[in-house]
Amino acid sequence: MEGFGPELRAHVRRMMGSADDAEDVLQRVWITAHRRPPEASEPGRVRSWLYRVATNAALDRLAADRRRRTALEGRPRAVAPDGPAAPDRILEGLGPEGRRRVREHVARLPTKQREAVWMRQVQELPYDEIAGRLGCSEQSARANVYQGMKKLRAELFDVWKQEVTS
Amino acid sequence: MTSQPCWVSEQGVLAFVEGDLEPEAELAVARHLGECEECREQAAEFRALEDAIASGAGETVRWHAFGTPFGRMYVAAGEAGLVRVSWAPSGDEEWTRQLGERFPDRPVVHDPGNAVLVEAESQLHEYFDGGREEFDLPIDLDALPAFSRRVLDALLHDVGFGQVVAYSELARRIGRPRAARAVGNAVGRNPVAIVVPCHRVVRSDGSLGGYGGGVEFKERLLTIEGREDLLRAG
Repeated sequence: MEGFGPELRAHVRRMMGSADDAEDVLQRVWITAHRRPPEASEPGRVRSWLYRVATNAALDRLAADRRRRTALEGRPRAVAPDGPAAPDRILEGLGPEGRRRVREHVARLPTKQREAVWMRQVQELPYDEIAGRLGCSEQSARANVYQGMKKLRAELFDVWKQEVTS
Repeated sequence: MTSQPCWVSEQGVLAFVEGDLEPEAELAVARHLGECEECREQAAEFRALEDAIASGAGETVRWHAFGTPFGRMYVAAGEAGLVRVSWAPSGDEEWTRQLGERFPDRPVVHDPGNAVLVEAESQLHEYFDGGREEFDLPIDLDALPAFSRRVLDALLHDVGFGQVVAYSELARRIGRPRAARAVGNAVGRNPVAIVVPCHRVVRSDGSLGGYGGGVEFKERLLTIEGREDLLRAG
């Protein structure tokens, strides 16, 4: 598994844009890999598994940063309150104001999109089950989740971008 | 509008974030995220959103709808039991909107296979057909103010099939004899129609009084319970 270290490091550095942040993320990847190693043993599978874990860890780090800087947390913050985020603080949840905003926006989605988003993101149902409950095809269930998430992304992130650029 | 200059669509980025891709596609998109800043931003934003939606959500409210002799009927339940039984004549859209307003921090989803809801459907059918006098269903009134809960609990436990009680009598039974009007309000806002028998509360002069679903429903329910005698008085 460690044989993939160099290419994984390069991948995470490309994503993070900072060598220090990349090392934090890689540390988390190896911790995950040792605690819950991949089920597959063929090198190809192990490689794609490592990429998935590393990419998601990097995205989480970037996502926490996004969240802090956008409408999700109310006012954008210039600096992190306690200096650089420690690894266990990266995924700290939203405050009450951020949660309220998210709920408000989800509540305004059209019924099918709203239910599809809840089923997928909160209940973590597979698409065939979402399709069954919504009474539509799997393709349409995917489309409903996508349309809902696309709208939320536009509302919760782009609004803020416009505020700071204008 | 943001342009999409690369081979991975926004929907593809979301599919990656959700873990909804086959291994080969997943690896390809992962590598692409290392190269394409725009897609990486999208992915990070979707990831932040997913996390925000899941962490902001209270316990799920599940609902189900079915036809009855009284029209389309709607039921909803959380983990602890039934939270709503009602007629929502204006359809599913209006019903889910109302539920969302009532439970603003909880995901509301259609779940016609939920055990409590399926059981509620079958017991309500039995009741309408005259084959059931008591409901055996978990009921969760915790979202209500304490006073309403006391009123509805008293109604649920002390006023059985075919019996009726006056608003003033119900007020006396919960130890608040001068609160008949407040009792009337609590009964009028009963979220769990039929199962919590608000149709069994009448005026002390013997007239029927109002009913959330329309007084003709109250008459039909009391008829099911063999109390046609009350209809003439009203």
